[in-house]
Amino acid sequence: MATTTSPRAQAVRARAVRADAVRRQRLRRVPLHVGTFLVLLATWWLLTSLEVVRPLYLPGPGAVWDAFVRANTDHPLSSTSDRIVRGEQNYYLWEHLLASLQRILLGVGAAIAIGIPLGLLMATTWLGTVLEPYLSFVRSLPPLAYIGLLIVWFGIGDTSKIWLLFLAAFPPITMATISGIRGVREDMVNAVLTLGASRRQALTSVMLPATLPEILTGIRVATGFAWTTVVAAEIANGIPGIGGLAYLSGEKLNSALVIACILVIGLAAIALDLGLKYLEKVLVPWRGKA
Amino acid sequence: MSRKTTGAALLASAALALTLSGCVADAEDRKAESAPETDCPWTPDESITTTARIAWQAIPNGDAVVKDLGLLEACMPKAKITWVQAASGGDVITYYGADEVDLGLMGSAPAARSASEPVVRDVDIATIWIHDVIGDAESLIVKDAGVTDLAQLKGATIATPFSSTAHYSLLQALAEAGLDPAEDVTVINLDPEKMPAAWQGGEIDAAWVWDPVQSQLLEEGGARLISSSDTAAAGRPTFDVGTVDRTFAAENEDFLTQWAKAQDHAVQLIQDDPATAAESVAVVLGIDPGAAKAQFAGLEFHRASEQAGADYLGGKFAEDLLTTANFLLEQGEVDAVGDAAVYAEHVDAGPASRAAE
Repeated sequence: MATTTSPRAQAVRARAVRADAVRRQRLRRVPLHVGTFLVLLATWWLLTSLEVVRPLYLPGPGAVWDAFVRANTDHPLSSTSDRIVRGEQNYYLWEHLLASLQRILLGVGAAIAIGIPLGLLMATTWLGTVLEPYLSFVRSLPPLAYIGLLIVWFGIGDTSKIWLLFLAAFPPITMATISGIRGVREDMVNAVLTLGASRRQALTSVMLPATLPEILTGIRVATGFAWTTVVAAEIANGIPGIGGLAYLSGEKLNSALVIACILVIGLAAIALDLGLKYLEKVLVPWRGKA
Repeated sequence: MSRKTTGAALLASAALALTLSGCVADAEDRKAESAPETDCPWTPDESITTTARIAWQAIPNGDAVVKDLGLLEACMPKAKITWVQAASGGDVITYYGADEVDLGLMGSAPAARSASEPVVRDVDIATIWIHDVIGDAESLIVKDAGVTDLAQLKGATIATPFSSTAHYSLLQALAEAGLDPAEDVTVINLDPEKMPAAWQGGEIDAAWVWDPVQSQLLEEGGARLISSSDTAAAGRPTFDVGTVDRTFAAENEDFLTQWAKAQDHAVQLIQDDPATAAESVAVVLGIDPGAAKAQFAGLEFHRASEQAGADYLGGKFAEDLLTTANFLLEQGEVDAVGDAAVYAEHVDAGPASRAAE
């Protein structure tokens, strides 16, 4: 049967059918995610209400929720007192989270600004051979070990914390840049050079866009790793800061608030990662297709 | 495609706005609605324009009351005061070394360490105030209620945070009982919040520690065997003291007089109106006011007039510092101990006596 639609209309229709299928597949996953989450929640509630684990070590979901609400509101000091206290340590939980997010954005931003050019230099010049062992060395340092040194060098303010987040984020980004550049296909560069491009044009129109997927993956890894070090960064004078709050609550044996902070830290990590994945889809739409 | 780019642009600008907004302001500018608007109990001194950075710790004494009521800010309105929390006396010494603070609260063991080699080369501080004499606030909790004498703890594992006043009291008590801390018992270094877990798991038999862990261990069936009030009675007292950088002290005598007056007022409040003081302590420490009031009982507070006398800052405290330093030398915590004059140099009864006038 001869079709009357043009090839262009056919292509549009095919794309719509594909999009529909993808959407339906995603929707099918929603009950799966919700179901798993509810099962985990029920197990947690069961373990704590049966007192299988002591409340000091694992408070129930109700206690954690109470601690979360307390930390986000102005609440009375105690049942007998009139004094109203603002959140935890005079900040709401979301303000603690915001303070930590600001620090990590500055730390990762600095890591991007320095890591990418450094990676470019290392991949294309002799600096790579010289600096690679030092880069591996910095990458393997545990943050908790050198936070003390950073405090002595940069003080107890935000500078030492941002330095720690920078040192945690910058090796993965540099290494991703280096491996991305090494992975750029030579014939692409040669083709462009044959067509009359200068070396600078080859760099900006071919090498950088070709490296972008790897760089963005490196940034995702770096942000994830730096976020896990936020507690180490905020161990000293960490208020306001979600990591500092988690650490101080642990010292006070307030397990419910510690778990609430940990959950918020985890959810923020997921949100950061989703944001970066979205950014990747926008900036590198050709990934997997070219 | 354009929708995605708009979304990405929004995401990126939100991230930028977040970073540049700095919208999480300083704690000092923010108070909950019913925080007490304190007026200075005496005439505020408008002439003091000092910038002071004060290190505080979560200890239930007058310093927490001064911080919560904003006494310093009320009595010296033109001064710029910032508070920084330290986790331990060792941290306060580190902050002094990095020139990050001008005043700090620490225990008498860190204070003795700071006046001895090698720390005295990097840090030059003096004790100007005794916040409290530690009594039952730090004590030895034993798992086996049948133990009634320290000598019965031979072969046991005892946990305590090293380099603290609790550590010092423990070692002193062991020496008094004739036990060698290296041979007869195992003393391990453990952060307070890790003790309940080790206790539960049967890994420690006793712990010399402070609240809230002390109360937690008592609730779990522990018994108090001996406390810092006993070691104090035996001639080895431990204190929480207020220290100041000596260069700062020389340049800011008026500030320190006002500071000592505020601390004296806080001690008076604890002694005469413990309920109000307990509320302030509870807010600063993040605990229940009832618990704060109970913790007052474990500490001994003294007014400025007593402190300036020969029993404390005026004489005996310097000797106590020297005794502590000698003990720390035996334990390898300091490299060398100076003579009595060195320790007397690092004690200054000036602000306390001026406040007592």
